[in-house]
Amino acid sequence: MAQTSSRGISRRGFLKLAGAAGAAAAVGGGVTGPRPAQAAGGIKPGFTSKYSVCDMCFNKCSLIARVQDGVIQKLDPNPKFLKSRGMLCAKGNAGVEQVYGADRLKYPLLRVGERGEGKFKRISWDQALDLMAANFKKIGEQYTRCGFMFMAGSDMQSTFVHRFAEAYGSYNTLSHESMCLIAGTRAFLDTFGEVPIPDMLYTKYVVMAGANRFESLVTPDSMDLMTAMKNGAKLVVLDPRYTKTAAKADEWFAIKPRTDMAFMLAIAHVLITENLYDKKFVAAKTYGIEQLTKHVKPYTPQWAAEQCDIPAEEIQRIARELAAAAPAAMVYPGRRSSNYTDSTQIRRSYAIVNALLGNWDRPGGLTAARVVGLGGGIPFEAPFYEDNPEDRIDAGKATLMFPEEGSFKLARDAVLEGKPYPVKGFFLYHTNPMQTAANRSKTVAMLNSMEFVVTMDIHMSDTAYMADLVLPSQTYLERQDPCSAQQGSSACACVVMRDPVVAPLYESKPVFWVMQQVAGRLGMGEYFDFTIEQFRDKQLAGLTGGMDALKRDGVYYNPSKLYGVYEGKIYKTKSHKIELFNSRYAEMGLEPMPVYTPPKPGGFARMRMVVGRNAVITQSSSQNNALLAKFQPTNHLWIHPERAQELDIKDGDWVWVKSKAGKQRIKAKVTYETRPDTVYMATGFGVLSPGLANIYGKGACIAQVLTDEFDSITGNMAMHETWVRVGKEAA
Amino acid sequence: MLKRTIVVLLVLSFIGAGLSLALASGGKGNSRKGKYLYRKNCRVCHVQNGKAKELSPISKTQAQWKTTFAAQDKLPCAAEWAKLKEKDITDIYAYLWGHAKDSPSPAKCK
Repeated sequence: MAQTSSRGISRRGFLKLAGAAGAAAAVGGGVTGPRPAQAAGGIKPGFTSKYSVCDMCFNKCSLIARVQDGVIQKLDPNPKFLKSRGMLCAKGNAGVEQVYGADRLKYPLLRVGERGEGKFKRISWDQALDLMAANFKKIGEQYTRCGFMFMAGSDMQSTFVHRFAEAYGSYNTLSHESMCLIAGTRAFLDTFGEVPIPDMLYTKYVVMAGANRFESLVTPDSMDLMTAMKNGAKLVVLDPRYTKTAAKADEWFAIKPRTDMAFMLAIAHVLITENLYDKKFVAAKTYGIEQLTKHVKPYTPQWAAEQCDIPAEEIQRIARELAAAAPAAMVYPGRRSSNYTDSTQIRRSYAIVNALLGNWDRPGGLTAARVVGLGGGIPFEAPFYEDNPEDRIDAGKATLMFPEEGSFKLARDAVLEGKPYPVKGFFLYHTNPMQTAANRSKTVAMLNSMEFVVTMDIHMSDTAYMADLVLPSQTYLERQDPCSAQQGSSACACVVMRDPVVAPLYESKPVFWVMQQVAGRLGMGEYFDFTIEQFRDKQLAGLTGGMDALKRDGVYYNPSKLYGVYEGKIYKTKSHKIELFNSRYAEMGLEPMPVYTPPKPGGFARMRMVVGRNAVITQSSSQNNALLAKFQPTNHLWIHPERAQELDIKDGDWVWVKSKAGKQRIKAKVTYETRPDTVYMATGFGVLSPGLANIYGKGACIAQVLTDEFDSITGNMAMHETWVRVGKEAA
Repeated sequence: MLKRTIVVLLVLSFIGAGLSLALASGGKGNSRKGKYLYRKNCRVCHVQNGKAKELSPISKTQAQWKTTFAAQDKLPCAAEWAKLKEKDITDIYAYLWGHAKDSPSPAKCK
């Protein structure tokens, strides 16, 4: 078998080096394991094929790994996996590099220098686990068990981190979600009683605002929207940037940032004043049409045009076209909604237009979650610790925060303040807030305020770089994981699972094992007294033939009802109807219907910074992948030519970009693909960790510049409230 | 026997008085402790393939939980309820009512 790598050495050489216990090499990478043989002439006959599930983003697409001599040669899509419509994207194809990349963490590392100095030494797993147990004990005794915080990414084993946290006794669990989608979740939950899944394949008309589905892929939405458009569906995109989605759309409007609510309220105004809304649906299934009619009266298209920079006649036409296509028409709910301080209310305005179109639970509209039938696994009874504080550290700081999700932003502020109680321990798994959370300086300060930080990942992320103890995780292709339920509207209600396709490299371990081992050391072994197989058996207990289907096809489908799920049922809201007027909000002193406030002017030479993904990077977890880094080796600051000219900035010039949170140096991309008042840069560059050798020293870090405002209802990070100044760097 | 019945009735009426206050205050107990107590005391039977119907907070609306708790002495497991302290019932109510299917934060898992 050939062993080739641009920065690598042979397997034999690796084994020699691995035995040498060189601590310095641990951070810098440079040592690689076996390599796929493609460079030496492709896959030879005799390979085996094994199902797995992609982990390059949150979508969890089923895939087939082609394995030869114990090495993954290639990843292919699973044609039987309908949620991705048999697709595996560029990131998915590059997953091989996650396993064999030179920068894999290989063994546990203990910090020996100052935090952030990058000096670590290799220790054994036993030493690492003993150290963790000792710190869980010490911090729990000194600060209560809530003094240890947990954060886990979107991963099929994250459930075990939450299980450990609950058994240990900490309420302080966080996820990436409060930097992503919580505001949208809240808005749709508080309108429809649940978060919808758009039925893209059968839709006839989509207004997509603040989403970029042809670059930031969501399955099956991205593929289904393309098919729907081939079948004649119309796509209208509102985005301050000319994204790939905008490029593929029938119509693109470069909406002024933070004015989407004005557009939606004007659409509602037209639908109501011109009697275009679904009166039968609204009368039977919604609550508050009288209040809404009165509420949207002043929000005319002429008024909205002033706000959004979209002509009134276009807004009026779009409203009429939406109504003509309804109920197979929608305002796309979107996913990442961590934009503004009133993002929940902005997304409520999206939800309300959908309700007026009567598209809920109907073909081409918004569908409810289908029955999958996957069980919760092995139940447990976590103890209760009487000496614990009453609630989470961030409790009560946002009106309707989800108690199991919390708010990274508000939790970070509370840790820094030390109130209402100290939090001094932090366990992170498969997540990297140093790059994904706005205001990196505050994240650094929070980590510096901790007594013990543990990060488990596959590479030395910036968060790992700041940790006291770094644990090498197995990649998704080396792991056995629990089953995972998936929703895909017309595509599926299905289950996927992972078994290892190759043996794990180095000393990497799954987080389940780590939690089990530490629990055992803390006398909590009873909460992890099972195997993954036993856990999966319990999950699948209600699904006859479930395991057989998973082994045969890589996916289990439940042919459950798709449309009309709510016939004869209540909506899970306070009024038990779809709430145009939110009665709970009214009781709580919140605006029961979205009230528009114009964005504050940013001033001369100040621009709003927006975030966004493209199809080859996922926040910060994939930039260092050598295959993907070839497509996006660095990032640039997108700036409009008009503004660039004023600032004497030419394409490719070095510029500084500065906000009240921080400053970065970056090359400019002068382009008409953004508005004059809006700048953009890709996430995940400007890293601190030299352990990310493919991107270290490249580009700038958006998290250093983004300011950390928050959505007042959910605590969701409000990243687009960032005003920046840009200037040409002195020669 | 009569003496025991009287004690049970007295306890029930005591719980009832406390509970009416709890219900009126909209679930002001400790929801996190309630989750623990619910798992310990109720889920023993109210579990998949258990002695009683499988239950979780999202099995009922907030109004239905309120009705259930108000009429606890009529439930088949009333005797089990009688063993609980007033504060414990208030906490269990805070958990079930607070994460009911029409609550702002419905429980995620069954």
